[in-house]
Amino acid sequence: MTVKKANLTEQDFDSAHPINKLRELNKLKENSEQTRDSLTRWLRAGEHAAATELVDIYYKQIYLFMRRLGHDRQVSEDLTQESFFNAWHHIGQLRDGKALNGWLYRIAGNVSKLYWRKHKGRKTADLEGFDVPDSTNAQLDVIERNEQLEQLKNAVARLSIKLRQTIVLHYIQQLTIAESADAAGVREGTFKSRLNRALTALRKQVT
Amino acid sequence: MGIEELKELLNKLPDAMTEPVPQRLGEDIKRQIPHRLSPHRVGMDTINIIIDLRINKLAAAAAIIITIVLCATFLGDRDSTGGGVLQDSMLLIKYWGAADAGNISAGRSKYELLLSRGEEVVWYGDWLDPKDGNAVLLQRRLADGIYEVTFVDGHEKQVDSEELIKLLARMLQKKTK
Repeated sequence: MTVKKANLTEQDFDSAHPINKLRELNKLKENSEQTRDSLTRWLRAGEHAAATELVDIYYKQIYLFMRRLGHDRQVSEDLTQESFFNAWHHIGQLRDGKALNGWLYRIAGNVSKLYWRKHKGRKTADLEGFDVPDSTNAQLDVIERNEQLEQLKNAVARLSIKLRQTIVLHYIQQLTIAESADAAGVREGTFKSRLNRALTALRKQVT
Repeated sequence: MGIEELKELLNKLPDAMTEPVPQRLGEDIKRQIPHRLSPHRVGMDTINIIIDLRINKLAAAAAIIITIVLCATFLGDRDSTGGGVLQDSMLLIKYWGAADAGNISAGRSKYELLLSRGEEVVWYGDWLDPKDGNAVLLQRRLADGIYEVTFVDGHEKQVDSEELIKLLARMLQKKTK
């Protein structure tokens, strides 16, 4: 009995313990959901400070979203600004905190789609942040893994705009299926089917 | 390549497809935020634009109604616009009636957001008189002895603890009367 009690106490104070980590993660998740809820209500009330907060939280994500969709740096900056500009004029469409991600990414996705439609012949631009480690220092399996990642990156860039957006929203921007579907402006079923098509296409290209 | 292996590889892409984001971008976007954000409702937007031009609410309402009536008369189709005039008048009445409640609701959202960010805020909205525009809706502690108070009509002011006590006492006196 004493041993059990001692274990419990140890577990309670050990922040690295998996249960405590899970508790912390849940707490963080709840807090972020609460923050998103109040931010949404504040935005719907038309508060300028809420718009500033939204920019702080999302501008990096939206910029990288544009880069990952294949736009170059300058165009990504312009499209990020345009996305937020459109967002200020569509605040009325924002329903609740859960819909915040889907709403903003949907606006950004539409801005990107319009750009590609206007500039049909334009090639996609690559990101510059990914470095393959030096082969003399790295182990063989790490090199192989990085080559696969490079292949996968190129394969994603070769996908059609629709399928590329599907992969970027769910796997790279890490939105849930529901949020990604909302952002893509389709039903969850349609989004899952697109995701399957994209995965099949990628499997063929990455060895 | 197996589907699980591909998914595992895809989960590593966020780190592989990233780069530094220009810092000034956030500031550039913030500079473009409109002075007043509002949900897209045509009637309300028109009223808000006129209010933003610092015109009295009554004058704004009168201007809208006169414009609508003039248009209706000019086009000579009173029946089809009669309903529209009534709807806009109802909208204006609703707007005036809901203004106090709207201010408190906006204040509440602000309070919750500040609270979730861990700031020291106190909410008075549950017991104040919503018609008293100078009643304190919430207080936020900025530094030692300095507070930012938000009033029911939405304006904000930085006060010291002495002035805050005076404001709260005045509010309490009005309430007990």
